[in-house]
Amino acid sequence: MGLGTYVRNIRETLGTIFEGMAITASHFVRKPFTIQYPDRTEIRVQDSLPFRYRGLLDVDLEICTGCLACERACPIDCIVIDAEKDKQTKEMILKRFDIDLAKCMYCGLCSEPCPTGSIHHTPEFEGADYSLESLVRRYVKAPVVAYKPPKGPENDADVGPILARGLRYLDEFASPGDPKARE
Amino acid sequence: MQQFADYLLDEGLLAGMPKSLGYVLVVAFFAFVLLNFIMLVAGVTSWLERRVWARIQSRIGPNRVGPQGAIQWLADGIKNIMKEDIVPTAADAPLFKLAPYLAMIGFFGAWACVPFGDGLIVADLNVGVLYITAVTGLVVVGILMAGWASNNKWALLGGIRSAAQIVSYEIPAAIAVNTVILLTGTLSMQGIIRAQGWAPWNWFLFDNPFTFVAFFLFFVALLAEGNRTPFDLPEAESELVAGAFTEYSGLRSLLFFLVEWGNLYIVGALCTSLFLGGWQVPAFTDNGFLLGLAQFVVFFAKSYFLVFVAMWIRATLPRVRVDQLMSVCWKYLVPISFVNLLGAMLWVVAFPNGWLPMRLGMFLFGVMTTLYFLMRVAFHLRRARPLMTWNPIA
Amino acid sequence: MSTNAIDLDIVREHPQGLETEEMTLNMGPQHPSTHGVLRFVVKADGEVMRRAIPDIGYLHRSIEKIAEKVGYHGFMPYTDRVDYVSAMQCNQGWAMACEALAGITVPRRGEYCRVIACEFGRIASHLLSVGATGMDIGAVTPFTHAIREREYINDILEELCGARLTFNFMRIGGCAWDLPPGFTRRAIAFLDRFEPLIDEFNELISFNKIYVERLADVAVIPAEMAIAYNLVGPNLRGSGVRYDVRKDAPYSVYPEFEFDVPVGTGERGTVGDSYDRYMVRMREMKESCKILRQALAGVPEGPVVAKVPRTFRPPAGEAYVRVEASRGDMGWFVVSDGSAFPYRVHIRTGSFAAMAVIEEISRGLMIADLVAVIATLDIVAPEVDR
Repeated sequence: MGLGTYVRNIRETLGTIFEGMAITASHFVRKPFTIQYPDRTEIRVQDSLPFRYRGLLDVDLEICTGCLACERACPIDCIVIDAEKDKQTKEMILKRFDIDLAKCMYCGLCSEPCPTGSIHHTPEFEGADYSLESLVRRYVKAPVVAYKPPKGPENDADVGPILARGLRYLDEFASPGDPKARE
Repeated sequence: MQQFADYLLDEGLLAGMPKSLGYVLVVAFFAFVLLNFIMLVAGVTSWLERRVWARIQSRIGPNRVGPQGAIQWLADGIKNIMKEDIVPTAADAPLFKLAPYLAMIGFFGAWACVPFGDGLIVADLNVGVLYITAVTGLVVVGILMAGWASNNKWALLGGIRSAAQIVSYEIPAAIAVNTVILLTGTLSMQGIIRAQGWAPWNWFLFDNPFTFVAFFLFFVALLAEGNRTPFDLPEAESELVAGAFTEYSGLRSLLFFLVEWGNLYIVGALCTSLFLGGWQVPAFTDNGFLLGLAQFVVFFAKSYFLVFVAMWIRATLPRVRVDQLMSVCWKYLVPISFVNLLGAMLWVVAFPNGWLPMRLGMFLFGVMTTLYFLMRVAFHLRRARPLMTWNPIA
Repeated sequence: MSTNAIDLDIVREHPQGLETEEMTLNMGPQHPSTHGVLRFVVKADGEVMRRAIPDIGYLHRSIEKIAEKVGYHGFMPYTDRVDYVSAMQCNQGWAMACEALAGITVPRRGEYCRVIACEFGRIASHLLSVGATGMDIGAVTPFTHAIREREYINDILEELCGARLTFNFMRIGGCAWDLPPGFTRRAIAFLDRFEPLIDEFNELISFNKIYVERLADVAVIPAEMAIAYNLVGPNLRGSGVRYDVRKDAPYSVYPEFEFDVPVGTGERGTVGDSYDRYMVRMREMKESCKILRQALAGVPEGPVVAKVPRTFRPPAGEAYVRVEASRGDMGWFVVSDGSAFPYRVHIRTGSFAAMAVIEEISRGLMIADLVAVIATLDIVAPEVDR
């Protein structure tokens, strides 16, 4: 190693270390980026998440039509639905709607084909619990009649807002042949 | 402390006691006080290191336990003490258990010569610097023993690397010390500090260009001896988990880490005493107690600033590989320190009592370097201005 | 793979009658730096390695077999997990393979959305890679800075598709969601903020002499060896071979964008050393920013997804498509037998070949260098094992 290389090595070492320390020194006076979740945030984190956020699943049973599209779409078989057509009244009766959140991988494939937006992802992500059984969410407490969307606008005051929210969730998904641009 | 012990035995509280017993009591008391002080300093250093690192990394460090997280170290210490005491079955149990204590002894012994103020020193040996350098060598034995007794190949690698590193870097450290001893003629710590003055241009750092270079050599060599980045290969987390200390848990690992953080303070204290004027303050009052307090505060502040610089360096630089570490020591630091010593010898022959214009010139050079550094910091801040105004959760 | 097949410790006789043995170390599946669960059996002579034998399979999840059960649409979330560090390109690979089978054309706006998503994913993946390389070498600060920037990208992609790591953004025939309102403005604000940061990152760590000394001239892979061992992506480009699937076998709308392909030039050492591979990644981030700006400025109107039946039954046949993922040329091979479930899916990843080349280049390196080599080859365990 010649003297030139030797001196150059020393100079480069000192120079780059000097620059590096200047950069880290400049970080002392910058604001840190930590979000001190969960108790020192300005608003609740769940409220700051975008509408499309794929958190824990939720089912609005009031607008579920019992079409089983979500059960078919789920790649991991975490949705189990028991729905049968009543022979006399020709209505769909939902006996069971279980989602095993421990299996769910939050892919969103179930909420896409839902006709009313009944099954949807919520911004809630705090689902940790002490037992695996509590992660199986059972949405049907007693057998209910499935929803039948009316031909015109929904007039029922209870179901109306829920349906509106469900349709708004579905609206986020892109559909083919939809030329509407969003900017 | 010798005078203090004599005073106590002759006229003070312990009058009438046999001398040997009295000495033992006084020494034990001071050792106890010093041990507590060291543990406190080491613990607070660990918390401060985490906060400093975190700010450099754009995040907040521990800030929940106590005000601003100030007793995080206590929580960590208690947690470590309460952990299960694991001795690997195939490990050499007596050596395994002895190793942390050897490291502690080596580290603790050095504190006997650390001057906190004029007269505030446990033992003002007239070979003070040599004593400190010698006693801290015992830490190597502890680390090597830990690496060997763990019966773990990774730990062994870490221990051997550490031993090689510490032994090699003793040489530039000792020669840099020699450069200062040429100016003082004494190895005693208090003597070295008394040979400097309180004003920066009276510090040995700015005395002549050779001591200026010696300061950086000494600081780098001491970083290497303390296993700090960029020389922390023995504890390289990403390669060896924790190097020589991989198999240690609980109180024993706590002792090793306390040795590491406390060693930082010894680094700071040594550099301060030798180069930065130690505890010298202008004589602003006649009150001995106040003066002593001011000296203590000044010494502590200066050493802690160097500890802070060591933490800052650790956060900034990557670590060097073991062969590069050896090459840095033997090919760069050792020759440069010898040449430096030669230059310092010539200087002392030419100017036996120093030369004020050179001191002022070096001081000015130091100030200009600091100003240039601050300019670069400002440049980086300006360039990163867009980064600083983001608030994720508005 | 059983290590019983490996030859036992070599005992050497020295002239003075001393015997030395090689040390067999296990850099096991749990290790702070092996980028996932990888295992290396290292036979070392002190600090110098004689052989480093990789042992893979700790993260094998039978993803390719699962495809035969879940069907074409249902496999899309699984492709995220093939390389979860840069999941968008994996989505694109699978979508393109299915579209090739069935002859579906993706609308132009859909292609632009795909490119935007993929390039953001590329920047995010490279940030993680360079940060992790820095951390393995010992510099802890650049890692947190890189992750901080990656969090911004995660936020942008979160408002695009709802997830931060396993996006499941694309569907066969296009994308699942269109760009939300305000997306372009926020994305360009991010790019304006991010590009000065690359310079700061470089000055902090890439040009640092200690860092250069750790990486330059370490594990040189000459161009012929890189091609022989089937390396792709930044590993191949770091050895001086200018090959990029986006330029040489272009797909999607990449021909419409102007960008360079950075190639290793041996600036601090030899061509093909670890530093070259690292710098190729740093420069690729800048190129991705260029592509993003062009794409965001020129997104056409129209639908983002083509009409594809709910149960996708492609005609019998096979298709092999290649995408330029962050870790190189990722090949997606699908065989269809006409039913709703694929007959066979195979994914060819860049990290798999990189694992193979480690054994070759690690002779004579130090153990500390092994970590640097794994990091600069950007090996992620999910890609190796699938």
